Amino acid sequence: MRTAKDAAPGIRRYSTVIGAMAVAVALLGLVSLFIGSSHMSVSDGLAALIKRGTAANNRIIWNIRIPRILAAVIAGAGLSASGLIMQTTLNNAMASPSTLGVSNAAVFGANLSIIAFAGGFLSTGNNLQSYAVGANPYATSVIAFLFSVISILLILGLCRVRSFSPNVVVLAGIAVGSVWTAATTILQFYATDVGLSAAVIWTFGDLGRATYRTDWIMLAVVAAGLLAFALLSWRYNALLSGESAARTMGVNVGALRFVSLLLASMITAVCVSFLGVIGFVGIICPHITKRLLGQDHRAALPASALGGSLLLLLADSLSRCLGSGSALPVGAITALLGAPFFVAVIFSRKENRRC
Amino acid sequence: MLKIENLRFKYGRRAPDVLNGVSLELRDGEIGILLGRNGSGKTTLFRNILGLCAPDAGSIRFDERDLLKMNRRERARLVAFVPQEVRFGALSVFDSVLMGRIAYFGLKAGREDYEAVERILAEMQLSGFARRNVEELSGGERQKVAIARAMAQQPRLMIFDEPTGNLDIANEQLILEEARRLARERHIAILSSLHDLNQAMAFGDRFFFMKNGGIRYSGGAECFTTDVIQDIFDIEVKMLEIENQKVILGGSHR
Repeated sequence: MRTAKDAAPGIRRYSTVIGAMAVAVALLGLVSLFIGSSHMSVSDGLAALIKRGTAANNRIIWNIRIPRILAAVIAGAGLSASGLIMQTTLNNAMASPSTLGVSNAAVFGANLSIIAFAGGFLSTGNNLQSYAVGANPYATSVIAFLFSVISILLILGLCRVRSFSPNVVVLAGIAVGSVWTAATTILQFYATDVGLSAAVIWTFGDLGRATYRTDWIMLAVVAAGLLAFALLSWRYNALLSGESAARTMGVNVGALRFVSLLLASMITAVCVSFLGVIGFVGIICPHITKRLLGQDHRAALPASALGGSLLLLLADSLSRCLGSGSALPVGAITALLGAPFFVAVIFSRKENRRC
Repeated sequence: MLKIENLRFKYGRRAPDVLNGVSLELRDGEIGILLGRNGSGKTTLFRNILGLCAPDAGSIRFDERDLLKMNRRERARLVAFVPQEVRFGALSVFDSVLMGRIAYFGLKAGREDYEAVERILAEMQLSGFARRNVEELSGGERQKVAIARAMAQQPRLMIFDEPTGNLDIANEQLILEEARRLARERHIAILSSLHDLNQAMAFGDRFFFMKNGGIRYSGGAECFTTDVIQDIFDIEVKMLEIENQKVILGGSHR
C-alpha cells in the first residue's frame, strides 16, 4: 500500500533537475568571478576573494564583479519567472515581462532623465557639466522606474474595466507601449548627438551598472514576487485548464491576474530601471523550461527562475570575454545565445510531430 | 435540493433574454437532464449556476443557501463542473485530481487532500493511472479524470455539459454509469445536458425541455411523447417500444 505522500508524483521527479540547475548557477557564478577585462589570474582572484589580494584586485572582485554577478542571478531569475507568469495568466505564448509596456516606459523615463534633465537638448547645446549631474545613475533609474510604475498602473486601471481579459491586457500593453516609444522618438529627435548616444547606450542593458545597493533593492522585489508566485502555483496550474474551469474550482481569476501582472511588471520595472533593457530572457527561458519539464508551476517556476539566472550569467560572462575592455550589450548576447537553443528545443520535441 | 426560481439572464444591456424566467427543482441524488436545441439556453443556465455569469433576476438556492451570495471558494465546495472537453495542462492524473481540492487547501495541499485524492482514484479505478500524464490518456479516461477532479471538490451538485459528446459508445456508457453511481451512492444531484434522447431517457430521472430560454416541459420519463419532441426540436419523430422500453427514432424536419 502506497502512502499518500508517496503517491503524490508532481515535484519529486523534477527536484533533481532543479537542484542541478541551482548548482550550475552557483558554479557559473564562481567561474565568472574570474572573467573580465583586467586579466586577473585565478590565484590572484582567489586571494582577492578572501580579501588577501592587492587593493586593486580586492576592489575589482568585491566592488565590480560580485555585484555584477549577483545582478545577473537576481535579474535573470526575476525576468524569467515574470515571463512564465505573464504567459500563464494571459494565456499567451508571446507574453513577456514587458507585455504591459514596462520596458518602453522605463526607456522613456531614462531618456527624459538623460536628455532633458541632463541638458542634452539641442537648444541648450552640449553641456558636459550638466551631463555629469544628469549621469547620476540613480536619478536616471528612479525616473525610469517612476514611468514604468505609471505605465503599469495606467494599464491595470484600464483593464480593470474589462476584468483583465487577456486579449484586452495584451492589446492595451501594445497601445500604451507604443505611446511611450513614440514619446521617446520625439524626445530623441530634439536631443544633441551626445545626449542621444548617452540615451541609446542606456537602453542597451548593462549589468555593470549594478551596485550592492541596487542588488539589494532588486533582490527585495524579485524575492517578494517569486515567493508570491510560488504560493500561487496551484492557481496557475488551475488556469492551465482554462479560465472557466479554474473559476468553477474556486479560483478568483480576476484577482489572480491583477496580482500576477502587478508583481511581474514591478519585477521587470526594477530590473530594467537599474540595468537597462534585457530582452529575451523573459520569453525564451520559460518556454525552454516548460518544454523540458512540463507546465506544472511547482517545477516550472523555480526552473524558469534558475534558467534565467543561468542564461543571463552566461550571456554576461560571454559579453565580457568578447567585448575586450568593455562588455558587449548583454541583451544582444542573451538573444544570440538563447534563440538557437530555443529553436532547437521547439523543433526537437515530439509534440511537433503532426500527422 | 437545488431550487432555481424565475432566473433571467441576457448577455448585454440591449441584448435579448437568453433565459427568461427559468425555474427548476432537483433533489439530492437525482439526475436531471436538460434537453433542447442548440441555443435554447442550456449552457447559459449552467454558466449561471456555476457562477460564470451573474443573472439579472431570480434566485439559485441549494438547501436554502443562496448560491448568488457565495464567494468562489464556497461555491466550488458545493457545485462542480465536468465540461465536454477537458484541458489539464499536462499534469499527472494525481495532480489533476488534486487540483479539484484548491477550494479546500488554498495555497498548499495537505495530508487530508492527498488522502482524499487517493480515495477518489481508488473508488474510480484510476489508481493505476495516478502517475500518467493526463494528455496521454484516451478521451474516455480523461473524462473519467475530469469527473474525479469534480469529485475532489466534494460537491453536492455536479453539472455535466454534454459529457458524452466526444466519446465512443463504450466510453459513453462508462461515463454515464459512473455519474449514476455518484448520484445513487453519494446522493449528489446531477444536472446534465445530453443530445441523444434515448441516452437521456435511460440515464435521467427528471427531464427539462428547454426552448427559447425557458423550460417548456418538465417531469419524468412520461414527458417523452412525440408531441413534446416535435415542439422542442421541430422535427417529426417515431416512437417505438422494444422490450418495454421507449425508443425514439429520428425523423424528418417539419
